[in-house]
Parts: sequence; structure tokens; C-alpha cells
Amino acid sequence: MDKLFAKQLGKATRPDGEVDLAVLEQLVVAAYTQAERDRRLIDRSTALMAEELEQLNRGLEQVVEERTAALRDREARLAGQNLLIDTAINNMPQGLIMFDSDARVVIFNQRYLEMSGLRPDQVRPGQPLIELLHLRIAMGTFAGDPDQYISQLLAAVARGETGTVEFELAGDRTIAVTNRPRPDGGWVATHEDISERRRTEKKIAHMAHHDALTDLPNRLLMRERLAATIAEARTGKRAAVFCLDLDNFKTVNDTLGHQFGDELLKCVADRLRACVDPSVTVARVGGDEFALILPNLVHSADAAVLAQHICETVRAPVELAGHPILVDTSIGIVIVPDHGTEPDELLKHADMALYRAKADGRGSYRYFEPSMDARLKARRALERELRQALVEGQFVLHYQPILNLESNAITCCEALVRWQHPARGMIPPAEFIPVAEEIGLIVALGEWVLRKACADAASWPGNIKVAVNLSPIQMGSANLVPTVIGALASAGLPACRLELEITESVMIQNTDATLAALHQLRHLGVKISMDDFGTGYSALSYLRLFAFDKLKIDRCFVNDLSHDASRAIVRAVTDMARSLGMITTAEGVETAEQLDHVRLLGCDEVQGFYISRPQPLAAVHGVIAAYAPLRAKSA
Amino acid sequence: MRSEQISWNEGSGWRSGHGAVGLANLVFYFGTRQALACGARYDELRLKFPGAHLLGCSTGGQIRNDDVTDDDIAGLALGFDRTALRLATATVAGSASSRACGESMGRALAQTDGDKLKAIFVLSDGLNINGSELVAGIAAVVGNGVALTGGMAGDGALFEETLVGGDGPPRTHQVAAVGFYGDAVRIGHGSAGGWDEFGPRRRISRAEGNVLYELDGKPALDLYKRYLGDEADGLPGTALLFPLRICDPNDPDNELVRTVLAVDHDTRSMTFAGDMPEGWVAQLMRGNLDRLALGAADAARQAAADIGARNGVAILVSCIGRRLLMGQRATEEVEAAGSELGRGMPRLGFYSYGEIAPHHAMGECQLHNQTMTVTVISETDG
Repeated sequence: MDKLFAKQLGKATRPDGEVDLAVLEQLVVAAYTQAERDRRLIDRSTALMAEELEQLNRGLEQVVEERTAALRDREARLAGQNLLIDTAINNMPQGLIMFDSDARVVIFNQRYLEMSGLRPDQVRPGQPLIELLHLRIAMGTFAGDPDQYISQLLAAVARGETGTVEFELAGDRTIAVTNRPRPDGGWVATHEDISERRRTEKKIAHMAHHDALTDLPNRLLMRERLAATIAEARTGKRAAVFCLDLDNFKTVNDTLGHQFGDELLKCVADRLRACVDPSVTVARVGGDEFALILPNLVHSADAAVLAQHICETVRAPVELAGHPILVDTSIGIVIVPDHGTEPDELLKHADMALYRAKADGRGSYRYFEPSMDARLKARRALERELRQALVEGQFVLHYQPILNLESNAITCCEALVRWQHPARGMIPPAEFIPVAEEIGLIVALGEWVLRKACADAASWPGNIKVAVNLSPIQMGSANLVPTVIGALASAGLPACRLELEITESVMIQNTDATLAALHQLRHLGVKISMDDFGTGYSALSYLRLFAFDKLKIDRCFVNDLSHDASRAIVRAVTDMARSLGMITTAEGVETAEQLDHVRLLGCDEVQGFYISRPQPLAAVHGVIAAYAPLRAKSA
Repeated sequence: MRSEQISWNEGSGWRSGHGAVGLANLVFYFGTRQALACGARYDELRLKFPGAHLLGCSTGGQIRNDDVTDDDIAGLALGFDRTALRLATATVAGSASSRACGESMGRALAQTDGDKLKAIFVLSDGLNINGSELVAGIAAVVGNGVALTGGMAGDGALFEETLVGGDGPPRTHQVAAVGFYGDAVRIGHGSAGGWDEFGPRRRISRAEGNVLYELDGKPALDLYKRYLGDEADGLPGTALLFPLRICDPNDPDNELVRTVLAVDHDTRSMTFAGDMPEGWVAQLMRGNLDRLALGAADAARQAAADIGARNGVAILVSCIGRRLLMGQRATEEVEAAGSELGRGMPRLGFYSYGEIAPHHAMGECQLHNQTMTVTVISETDG
């Protein structure tokens, strides 16, 4: 019997054993109803569950499809990105290698392999850095202690610091490795070959401190070494500094050209280097100026021994353009710290000593002496006063008349400048003209002379000319022609009454510009004379370049007319001048006898004390007038 | 320990056994709300057992040995020789004060000047309280070392009013518990369901305490109505046919079964016997007679294994949901439990609105739903 029915039967059985059928029916029906209800509920819940699950399933399928599509897209994009990254890292000029936080390789590029000299099969992801370093040491692409390198690197990475280490490798190679930490505790190392950059930097540093022509240290490096030498001197070490220049370098440059001048400088540089040991600095500090620093000087006299040796070595003939050329050098010597403890002071004193050596005769050396300083100071004072003199009108012109032997009349007066110094009285031109030339005052002074001489001459009777000397520096000035025109115009003097006297040295520098200027002046009507003829280089070739109006025969020939040779030269000059259409003036005629001689030798004009000393303007008229009666008398 | 089963019905009044208990010091009694409400039955028991603590409640059916009855009162008188007892009661105003109520009960029982508190058996109002919070409150005070079992009073399938009485006439809004002290008392407990999950897993997307509003963003009540079909007219009782298994997605072992206490058609929400934490996973369950009976047997086996002795008594607390599903076959789960415990062990119990026992896997005491929980009480002879 069913267990439930047994229970139902038990409940429906009355105490007397009779079964209450109504009760039993009620229980049985209830059980069926319950079972039916359960079945319906289960059916319903099962159907709903299936429906819900189906719906859920469809939703999930859609999600899976979408995600799969998205995944495929992402994979494709990633593949594309990987390709891009791959292309990018393998085409970068730097070597790249990335490490994880355990110092193991993550990724690297082709350039890294090339720079570290490793084969592709020697490097792999997951490889410890230490292993790579040992491989690189074997290839000579890593220098240093690998363990120390790694520990320092890891410490820097831990601190989040980016650091760059440079490795100097064999074959003049320099590799810069920059280690940049990554957020995950690893780092990226970029390797850059900076060999070329370092070589260029070294070259630039060398160039900044060396002279390109001779490769000697330049002024900058010399001054640095001098400063170091001075610092050493404080500890009791003495030193010597030489200033050198070549005595006739300018002539070589001017006559043979800059190319040979440069050759000469290189040769001198080699000789200087050969004279000293490596502890001595030999520097080229200017055009033909050199400086030497001798450290650890024991006796001052040692410097003199070296200086003497240098003078002799440099003096040996140099073969330039097929000619043996002799070059002398002069040397000024200072002792550190005896002659100064400041670089400028020492160099100035060495220059003074050099100046003195040159003045005393070239090819020699001189130690600095305090008196040189005094002389230099006097020279500076002179320069200052000279500039002031022009401003304050302390210059005056004196005129020396020139007598025409044919007409026996004064036909020209040569303007000669004098300095009326307020304290020192009249100063002759030989004392101040060279200084004016050196300091560039000669151009302004020359213009003043021209204007004053033209203005003065305008008051002279008849057609008496005025002769004005031009310095070579004035001849080189681009303003010469306009200045002459201005002077003539403001004085109202006809150009034919102005004579410009130039010396042979002007013609030696016969640049095109100089000749052009002479032709322009001639075209204006100005007369051009050759002054001091016969004393300089006496090269007659320049007489072909320009047709002078007049040759002025130097006083040394006139003084010596008692000798046949001098008389022959004067005769030759007057003959040559006549044949070239030039007239001649004999300078320095001091006696009647000399006057007679030059007249017989064919000179056209004479000038000298015998005729008249140079006169102030006011006295010139008197001299001119004094000769007028003579002219009348002879006429 | 001595014991004697007692019963009452409308026709014959109180019937006791042989009077073997003598001086009983604890009486459990369970009956219908209608039988207990007048208070006369309590007065009669008080006269019968003047020196005993009287602990009882209304139910959704009484269990006495292998029988399930609907219209009587079933009781069990116990005489402890070497175990001290203390009874505590409290009135709970509403759901919000559940935890505080549990804590005060715990404090009342934990205070002892003599033997150590060993176990607590608690009966609670079944409708006006959050059982989870009540249990958590007691456990927080007494600790997990004290075995805490019991149940929430029932009201048939009506869900209108539940009564609890502790040394006084049964009343609504009451919580009562007895504490067992000393080393002589032995308590075994077991708890098991036997329900099967079915259908999709859902997420508790909106809930407040034990009130569930939405599953997967849809009103929870709509889901139940759809599954119940015609049976929806019987809500909230019929909702017990589909309990909810809930678990913490971050700790899937921490799973519980929740049963419905009330529904609100206006807010389309459902009130459960315990917390419904937002974010937890919920899945519908349905019962199968055979497996529910196997579950009851399992609970009994756990309880018996715990105690290792068969000379005690067993208190069976099973869920009203099981009774509603099983109908007349509810006796089958009671018999299955009896087989495990042994026919000689007196068994008393009731169908409840919530069962209280330590969690089988977690060890922590919790409120259960839709389970059979078995508490075996015995006392060593010394």
C-alpha cells in the first residue's frame, strides 16, 4: 500500500475501527489536488525557465559574437601596431633594448645588435642583462665592471632617474647609453653612436684654442696657460715668457705675396717647436707674433740661452719661391713673477722688451727693464699731445723756396710742417711724423697741411707753386682725391700750382688703387714729383708705370759732388729725366760750388740752405721778392 | 536528563505521559496561533509545571515524533539535573531595532556568576523583525563558541500575526530565549535544505535591508507573479514555493536561502525573513519531495553526529515553505529525520517562518530559510 494512503486511511479510521469514507475522500482529493497543483507549477516553472534561459542564451551568444568581432578587430589593430612599432624601432638610428624589473631582456632592435656587435642568436627575450654585458665585453663593446654597472643602474631605476653613461671604446668610438625607467620597474636603454659628435667637439675645442695655419696654441690658449703659470709662480716656481716677431716679415708678405708669407710662418712655427721641449708652450698670437711660456725656470739666464738658440735657428735661410730668404726674429723676455704677476702686465712688458730688442738691432733678444716702461709712457704722452696739437692748432707750415736755374726765379715752395709745442718749443717732423703715421693721425694732419698750403699759396705772386709731401698712408686713403679737390677749391688755387711729392716706397706698394689715384690727380692738372730719388730701392721700373713731372735728386748725391761717381749719377739722372720729359730738382744745395756743379750737370731747379732755409709764411714773400730783381738783372 | 512529551487538543484538553519528569525545569510548547492567543493554555501549563521555564510560540504546524499536526499543541517537559538555565525575553518594536534587541538578549544571557554559557535556544516573532539582524546581535555578544539555535514563530500560511511566550502568555513582538550553562549539557545541531536551484542567476540590483525591490533591474514581485501564474493569488504564502538562494559573488561559499514574509503590490517589492544584500547573486529554487526529505535526514545526521549520544531529545524546526510544498507528505521529512535520530529519541518541533542554526559551511550562526534544522539536547550523567 502506498505510504501516503496508509496514513490517510489511518486518519480516516475512527476509534471503533470503522472507516469514515467522507474523511478519506477529503484526504485523497486534497492529495490529488496538491499533486496536480505541483505538476502545474513545475510545468510552468520549467517552461518559463527554459524560455528565460533561451533568452539569456541568445543574449550571451550575441555578446560572444560582438566580443569575438571586437577581439578580431583588436587583434588586427594590434598586429598592425606591432608592425608599425617593429618598423619604427628597427629603423631608428639608435640601438634600443628594453628590460623588465628583473633586469631581463624584453625587446631589442637590429641597431642594438649592430652597435653591440652581437649576433641575433646571442640575444633573446628573458636573457639576464649580466649575460649580455659579458658577451659585449668579449666583443669590445662594453667597458667597465659589469656588476658595478648593473648595481648603479638598478639603483637609479629604483629612484626613477634617467641616466646617460658614455662608453669610450676602441677605434675612437663613443657610445652613449641612456637608461630611462619604465612605470613597471623595468627600463628602456637607448644606445647612440656619438663618435662623430665627440670627434667634432674635440676638433672644435682644438680649433678654438689653436691657430689654423700653424696648429700652434692661439692667443686664447696662451693666456690660459699664462694664467696657470702665474698661479704656479705663487708656489715659488719661476717662469719666462717670450714675445717674438719676425723682423722683415712684412716685406716678404708685400713682395712675395701672402701665400709665401704663410709658408714662412709655418716654417718658423716648426723651428720654434723644434727648439723647445714639450713643457714649453709655443703660441702664435698674431700675424707674425709668437709667444713662448717656459715653466719651471731655474736661472733667469737659461731663458737667454734659449732665446739665443731661437734667434740662430730662425735665422737659417728659408727656401721660398726658389729664393733663399733670411728671416730674423727679435725676442722680448719677461720673468714671472719678477716682471709682473698679471697676464696683461707681463705681456705688455714683454712687448716693451721686444720693442727695445728691435730698436737695438734686429735678430736679438732683450730682458724687460723697468726703464722701458718709462720710455713707453713718454711715447704714450707724445701720442696724446700730438692728437691735442691738431685740435689746438699747434702745427705751423714753413716753406722752402725752390729756384729755377733757367729763369733764376723762385718757382715753387715746399711746405714743411712744424710742431709749435707749448712747452718744448719747435719740434722737427722726424720726431712726430712716424708717430702720427703709426697712430693713424697722419691722414687728418695731411689734410690740414694740404688745405693750409693751398690757402697760403693763393697769396703768392705770379704762378709760384706750392709742393706738399704725401705719406704712403695718405696715398692709400680712398679720400685722397676728394681731399685734394676740396683743398684747391676752398683756397681758390689752380690745380697746376700744386705739386704733390711722393716717395719711392709709395710706388713699391703700387696697387691699382694708388696708380688710379695718381692718374686722377694728374688729370686735374696737379703736378706729381718723385721725392728723394736715388735713395730707396732705386728700381727704375716704376718710372714706366707713371710719368712723373719732376724728379727730386736726393741731397746725398749733392753733398758728394766732389766725387766723380756722384757727378756721373746726377748727370745720368738729369739726362734720363730730360729724355722722359721730366724736370729735375737738386735737393740740399748749401754752397755756391754745389750750385755751380748741379747747374753744369743739367739740373733744372735747386733747393737748399744756399737758396733759402725753410721760412715762416710771412718771410716767404721776402725771399720771392729778393730773387725777382735777380731775375730782372739777369734778364 | 528526564523528558516527557505532552499535548493538548480542543476535544480532550491536556494529555501528559507518565509523569516521569517529576520536577521539570524547562517546557517547550508549540501550537496554532488560535490555540495560544487566549493565554489560557499558558496558565494551565504554569499550574502544571510551577518550577519550570515555559518557552513556546505559534507555528505553521507542529511536529511530534513522526507526526505533523495542525490543530493541537505539542510540548516537551525536560528535567535537567546538572545544568543551569536562564530565560530572557524582549519586546521588539520593529525591524529596525532587531540587532539592538539581539544584543540585549545576548547580554542578558551571557552574564553569569556560575557556569559558563554553553548554548542558546531562541524563539522570535516571525513577522516584525529582521531575523538575520537579531541573530547577528546575539552572536556578536556571546560569540560563535556558544551554540545558537531556534526559530521564528509561524502563523500557518496566513502571515498575519505570530506569538512568542517566555515565562508568560504568548504575545506578538516578542523574543524569548533560554540559555544552557555548564559542561554537562550537550547540544548537537544540523541544518539542511534539499532545494534545487533552477533558472538563470540574477543580481540583487536594489534592496534595503530585508526588502527586495529589483532583480537584474526588474521588479522582483513581477518575476514571482510570472512564475506562480494562478497561484499568485495566494501571495505571500505561495511565494514560499520558490525560495531564493543568495550568495556573495566574492565569496560563493557564503550562501543562504531566503523565504518571503510579505509582499507589497504598490512598490512591487517583497519582504524576506533576512537581509538581501545588494550586489549578491540570487537564484530561484524549487522543491522535490524526495530531496527535501533527504535534506531533513542530513540535518538530523549532523545533529546526532555532533552529540555522539542518543539519550537526548530533538527539537525540529522546519520551514513553512517545505510544509506548503509537501502538503500531506510533510510527514515524510519528519520520518526521515526520525530514522536518523532513532525512533527512541523524543522529537518535538514546528514549522517556522525562519530557522536559526550555525551555518553548515561557515560555522557562524545565521538565520536560514526553507531548511530543516535539528537541535539535539542531552545531559551527561556525570
